[in-house]
Amino acid sequence: MSNDAIFALLPLITLSTVILALMLLIAFRRNLALTCGAAVSGCILTLCSIFLVNNTGVPQQVTPLLVVDGYALIFSAMIVMVTGFICVLAYEYYKCRGEQQDEFYLLLLLSCLGGMTLAHSTHFASLILGLELLGVALYGLIAFPSRGRLSLEAGLKYLILSGVSSAFILFGVALLYASFGSLSFSALSAAASAGTNPLFVLVGTGLIFAGVSFKLSLVPFHMWTPDVYQGAPAPTTAFLTTASKGSIFAVILRFFISLDGYQYTTILEGLFWIALASILFGNLLALMQTNLKRLLANSSIAHLGYLLVAFLAASYVGGKALAVEAVIFFLLAYFLTSLGVFGVITLMSTDPDSPDNDELPQYQGLFWRRPIMAMFFSAMLLSLAGIPLTAGFVGKFYILTAAVQAELWVLLGAVVIGSGIGLFYYLRIIFVMTEQPSANDEITMPVVGGWAMATLTLIMLTLGIYPSPIINWVSEIARLMT
Amino acid sequence: MLELALFYLAAGISLVSTILAVTRVNATHALIYLIISLLASAIIFYLVGAPFAAVLEVVIYAGAIMVLFVFVIMMLNLSPAGEAIEHRWLQPRMWIIPALFCTLLLAEITYMLSRGDNLLMGHMVGPKAVGLELFGPYVLAVEIASMLLLAGLVGAFHLGRRYLTELREETS
Repeated sequence: MSNDAIFALLPLITLSTVILALMLLIAFRRNLALTCGAAVSGCILTLCSIFLVNNTGVPQQVTPLLVVDGYALIFSAMIVMVTGFICVLAYEYYKCRGEQQDEFYLLLLLSCLGGMTLAHSTHFASLILGLELLGVALYGLIAFPSRGRLSLEAGLKYLILSGVSSAFILFGVALLYASFGSLSFSALSAAASAGTNPLFVLVGTGLIFAGVSFKLSLVPFHMWTPDVYQGAPAPTTAFLTTASKGSIFAVILRFFISLDGYQYTTILEGLFWIALASILFGNLLALMQTNLKRLLANSSIAHLGYLLVAFLAASYVGGKALAVEAVIFFLLAYFLTSLGVFGVITLMSTDPDSPDNDELPQYQGLFWRRPIMAMFFSAMLLSLAGIPLTAGFVGKFYILTAAVQAELWVLLGAVVIGSGIGLFYYLRIIFVMTEQPSANDEITMPVVGGWAMATLTLIMLTLGIYPSPIINWVSEIARLMT
Repeated sequence: MLELALFYLAAGISLVSTILAVTRVNATHALIYLIISLLASAIIFYLVGAPFAAVLEVVIYAGAIMVLFVFVIMMLNLSPAGEAIEHRWLQPRMWIIPALFCTLLLAEITYMLSRGDNLLMGHMVGPKAVGLELFGPYVLAVEIASMLLLAGLVGAFHLGRRYLTELREETS
């Protein structure tokens, strides 16, 4: 590899070095504050290296496996940012849960590395490896044994379904390899016009989408989502719903654009039904939930459905740039708000002997008991609902614009109906928080975590009020990408 | 024609033994069928010209399951009751199908080896070619795989240790 190539890989190399250093640190000295500090500074270092690389050496193909371009770097930056915030938020959560919790940070960073690999990958080998790295570290994180049997059950469910979906993806990749004779994304586009067997391509791509839909929890592959969300520790759920899903969506979008999959109307039709079902079922299932984590699990199904609308909007001529832009911005907003919501649940759950505080009645009167935390929580929920002045609004606006441009009227209607239903259950949580508190139990708000939440809320609101710098950056990336 | 017959024989054995492995109630019987399934896929690899992958399949997968097998025997065979269980396992209806499958696979590999090195289907990829690819253009795949192993190791170790201490506290 040339020096330029190694320089372009700097973010991945930095993160890998941090992981190894962290492992040695844990081996020699177990101290949660020290480990957390090292992990957070590792994330900041990686973020710096991403911006350093972004300013100089892009785009660059590094070996057949990875490409370093703006698209890969912005997703890497988002994933690393999410990981850094989770490291901070999880500190108090694990501190009160006894000794020997340091491995959480090691596994979290490994999972983050898997997500970054996915964002960079232009080859099925790196796709599978990244997917597995992300997944294998997540098994450990979900079943993390500080919460007893519930998280073990969740870990087992995720392990089996993730394994099955990986098998689907592998079989799909094998069929694509049989028709194109190469595992590289770039070869897909070159050979796509030549006479390949369209049935193989259709079935292969269909299998890949089936596997990916499992991991993205799209209807009808969503059954595992509420159980795993509820069972996993709150910081892990935050990672699962943001970085894990986002990086998988990033690589699948890159794959589909390389394949020029928009010429296969059968696939688009299938995706249309998946998107429609995800939006409607996700919102309807969330309607009557009283467990916050289950509610958010179902709302994340709906959000991935919205994202799929933007994905489909790229099918009209010249719409790819707008669609990619919409996907990146929507994901950024979704990352920030989901992180915020699960961050509040994490900070609320500092009672070592009980599972996470995720039942709705536990939030009754939060405005009276912890006004600042309730404010942050409300802001995040409003952003999820897509109220103006929040990042979620700009994200949803992007989705609607893309759908209008592509004339996807049915899906547009579904997004509007889904948002309407969503508004009801998000506002219900806020309503419960404004009620008079029944019990006067005092909740202590962790200081460090509180500052992290404040920063998150600030970034989220800034993105909602003054999004143009980010929009300019994202649209530039989207233009170069397509 | 002949190579197709060989392929379908191995593939059929692989499928049937995998189904049997999944449906067996007894863990040791399931493991035996799993080993046969892996041996059959090794034969398929050999048939399509990937002898290195075939050897890895036997050494790593079948080998690892053998170790698992030994663990199960060790855990069970600590008492006279364990010996009785072992006697029950040795009934002919337990081992006749695995033995038959193994004999078929052995016949297949003997035939292929006796034919010399002329390849039946696919094209030959030797160990050297695999190594050159792995540590040439695909070196990053090796690096990512090493991180994957680290993740698996740390996760398994952490989960196992915590539940083990829990169990110890419960029993004491």
